[in-house]
Amino acid sequence: MNVRTIRVDDLTGMQACNLQNLPENYTIRYYLYHAMTWPSLSFVAEDHKGRIVGYILAKMEEDAGKGEELHGHVTSISVLRSYRRLGLAKKLMEQSQKAMATIYGASFVSLHVRKSNRAALNLYRDTLGFTLKATESKYYADGEDAYAMHLSLKDQGTVARTN
Amino acid sequence: MSKQLAVPAKRALPPKEGGLFKELLGYYETRSLKKGVKTADQILKKFPEHAETLCMKGLLLTHMGKREEGIDLVKKGVRLDLTSHICWHVFGLIQKGEKKYDEALKSYIQALKFDRENLNILLDAANLQVHLRIFDSLVETRHTILRLRPNVRKHWIGYALAHHLNGNPLEARKILQHYQIMVKGIPDHDVEHSETLLYLVRVHEELAEFDEALRVLDTGEQNGQIVDRTAVLEARARILSKLKSDESEAAWRVLIDYNPDSYEYYRGYLSNRGINLDDRADSEAALKILINFSTELPKAAAPRRLALNVASGDSFKDLAGTYIRSGLTRGIPSLFADLKALYRDEHKKTAVEEIVEAEHTKHAAEQSTPSEDSEPTTYLWTLYFLAQHYSHLGQYSKALGLLETALTHTPTLPELYTCKARLLKRAGDPIGAAKLLDEARLLDGQDRFLNTKCAKYMLRAGFIEQGNQILGLFTKKDAPSPGSDLEDMQSLLYLEEEADAQYQSGKLHLALKKYMAIQKLFDEVEDDQYDFHGYALRRFTITIYLNLLTWEDQLRSHPSYIKAALHASKIFIAVHDEPALAITDNSEPLTDAEKKAKKKAKKAQKAHEDPKKLTQGANANEDKGLEVPQAKDEDPDGKKLLASPDPLEMAAKFLSPLASLAPGNIDAWIALYDIAIRRKKLLQAIRALKHAKSLDPESPELHIRIIDFALRASDLPQTPPAPIGPLFTSFHSSLFPSLSPSSDSSNPFSTSKLSLETLNSQYLQKHSNSPLGILAVAKVQHRLGSPVGQVEETIFSSLGKGDSGEGLVGFNIKVASRFIEFLASIKSTRVVEYRSACAQRFELSTIFRPIEELNALRTSVVWPAPQAVSTEVKDGNTNGGVDGYIAQ
Repeated sequence: MNVRTIRVDDLTGMQACNLQNLPENYTIRYYLYHAMTWPSLSFVAEDHKGRIVGYILAKMEEDAGKGEELHGHVTSISVLRSYRRLGLAKKLMEQSQKAMATIYGASFVSLHVRKSNRAALNLYRDTLGFTLKATESKYYADGEDAYAMHLSLKDQGTVARTN
Repeated sequence: MSKQLAVPAKRALPPKEGGLFKELLGYYETRSLKKGVKTADQILKKFPEHAETLCMKGLLLTHMGKREEGIDLVKKGVRLDLTSHICWHVFGLIQKGEKKYDEALKSYIQALKFDRENLNILLDAANLQVHLRIFDSLVETRHTILRLRPNVRKHWIGYALAHHLNGNPLEARKILQHYQIMVKGIPDHDVEHSETLLYLVRVHEELAEFDEALRVLDTGEQNGQIVDRTAVLEARARILSKLKSDESEAAWRVLIDYNPDSYEYYRGYLSNRGINLDDRADSEAALKILINFSTELPKAAAPRRLALNVASGDSFKDLAGTYIRSGLTRGIPSLFADLKALYRDEHKKTAVEEIVEAEHTKHAAEQSTPSEDSEPTTYLWTLYFLAQHYSHLGQYSKALGLLETALTHTPTLPELYTCKARLLKRAGDPIGAAKLLDEARLLDGQDRFLNTKCAKYMLRAGFIEQGNQILGLFTKKDAPSPGSDLEDMQSLLYLEEEADAQYQSGKLHLALKKYMAIQKLFDEVEDDQYDFHGYALRRFTITIYLNLLTWEDQLRSHPSYIKAALHASKIFIAVHDEPALAITDNSEPLTDAEKKAKKKAKKAQKAHEDPKKLTQGANANEDKGLEVPQAKDEDPDGKKLLASPDPLEMAAKFLSPLASLAPGNIDAWIALYDIAIRRKKLLQAIRALKHAKSLDPESPELHIRIIDFALRASDLPQTPPAPIGPLFTSFHSSLFPSLSPSSDSSNPFSTSKLSLETLNSQYLQKHSNSPLGILAVAKVQHRLGSPVGQVEETIFSSLGKGDSGEGLVGFNIKVASRFIEFLASIKSTRVVEYRSACAQRFELSTIFRPIEELNALRTSVVWPAPQAVSTEVKDGNTNGGVDGYIAQ
């Protein structure tokens, strides 16, 4: 599968992929907001017909206080069930992390995961090296708790910056 | 505010009220709505006709949700003082909220007449001009803005961008260069400045100033001003290749190391060496390089996969063997989907089949005598691959046999069920397919992918209620219905499938409702760009913003839009031609499930409405914005829509973007003709027909339209007046050069029925082997009034000659269903006979069984409760995690 930075015409494909995979969904406008603010942080995986089979939608956390370390945040990542076991999630995540570190000087990346989503938790912890930071109670609209997870980017060969 | 014209007496206020008015403006800026209204009332008590105060009060009221009252005041204010920039500005704001962008711009232009240098108005006007793509005026507006605020960085970029959009990249480049020299005190790692420099690079590239572009990149990177490394590397490689520089190859190589899974980078690397991946003549050279990359980058999948595209003969067999064996061992579900694209090449198809069959033989033998290194899952994935392979080739019984073995081996792998379901769907058994997908779904209840697919299969099999219930397992619980949540989330997949399912079941009103929802969705996405006109300048993300504008301009070339437009116009035409179709039966009893759903929807609707009412009283200061809130849908099931008085106008509006965005789509041009000819827009009709003819002169649908055109022309009382007349005449004679005008008519375009019948039989002779050609001929025969018996004969010729039952090429289940649909529409008594012939032809199919049997089959399906059963997550089914939606 072809893994590359997003283009504007990928956004509807990403949104369709998200709706097929995950219970947290967004309108096109939210994807546009990511693309127009951090055009180099989101990536897609596409098949030979150009269909989006996986994506990472990512951003920088901008409300960090003065002197705090800058960090990136994964808004959403998923791969269609029929395209799993190819290591696509890892590849997408790695590309995004590299961009967060080199462009914005992010020192770590954060994400949230549903407490009940053990499969995703395994992916983040075991495959991608995230660690559990905290539990955020009732983070999701339906009242479910979220785990906040972090991964340091300090080995990305760049100097992490502060706000 | 500067250089005001003399204040007219009716606008002037005494000092006290003048002070209040200033306060009022301040309250609006801080959105202290209640205080603002109070202040406005104080002024109005003494000066009830003070136009600017009236407008401001109207604006505040609109923000508070008292829309009607507010807008009345604004309109009154504008009428009372036509030379006040405040009044026009407020009016413009209101129109913009109503998404009447062109009217809003007119108001802003009025406002600027009376206050030429008002920055807020200028900025709003600039956004509207770019939104409406009025680029020459945009240049002027942006120039004024820059002149007024030369110290603000973004206004320089805005001015350059305006020239660029107006087709003058040279001027844009000059401005950006000037800006670059002038700007000072840029901090290190400034993302905004980095984006600006990358924009300059893009403009240089567009002007073919490659050396300059390179210089900007190099200095920018050296002094740390360009921070987007990916963008730099890509631009450098692209530009060095254009310059035919010695360094270009190294630049592409760096990119490949940077992201070894990007196809573009390999393409770029090869093309830089003069090698085209798609050109057979270059295959050998490409293969050598790709094999090298495969060795050097063991983790990268791209070079290995690309190598399969260019390899042939024995080297293909070797490479494909390794690729396939590795995929089967790792249990990669997408392996077949990945390789299917190679099947265009017969040799490759055979080679793949041989490789996997060999694996099958090997692993099957191991099943009875397991050795140490045999992996039972590899056998399973091999069976899965082969089943997909044979299913794809239409060898259904072979595929089913393999699937049976696989299911006995492992009855818990959902993929086996989805594979079998897909096969049954293709073979004409949508009910069986839906049942299987429900089984697959129950094996992994937490997986939305299986859930969505299951619902889709249910909808396609006509189980609309059940499908919606299944979808509801993953939609928001407080939504009025699963469908309304999916509609809010802009799910095209849902809207399309629901609409098609309703269409299929003959509920035209419900289908049309959903097709129109797709139209609305695209309108929303078009509107979405508005806020980014200002935003992108603030963030300096111009490069991607330019791509946004291009994308928005082409938005409706999206396949979902085209399909929705075509289906909707078919419905609109149907109700236009036969208005009785629009009378929907209201007495239809609701099923229990429908009743329940309705009740729930009502309840949820109430819950949605109530809190609003509460807050209105509690917090009148709440800003509701200027956008028109969504009105309650008075026609939820589309009955009024279907009965609308101007179906053709609605269809024309839906279709009109296709005239520029779907030039190669013949169905679009046929539909444009169908609508135009009924709207009596003869020029448009001619244009559409001509265009369709240029795409495929032998198209069956076009054949039907040419006859239609002849018949409708015959009905014209006289030649249309110039300038249409001559064009019409020449087009008509170009279409029918040999038709002799019938003698008994004064109409110049009259053609005899006989001559049209001749045309039709000529077409049949040419296309007697094409099922769709035959269908078109039958439809024309019916239209020309041929006896039903003759039409039926034509239809039955699609089944092939004699008992040998040699089918015609392209005679498949979909086509067969269209024949049946047509036979039913002309009330043929031979439908049953045709259905039973199809049932024999397509062995696994159920859809051609006698109607009663089919209905019995459908009602006999018992669905398990839709609740997700398994909450256990299987390892390896890595899902993903996401944020709750935080509105930005």
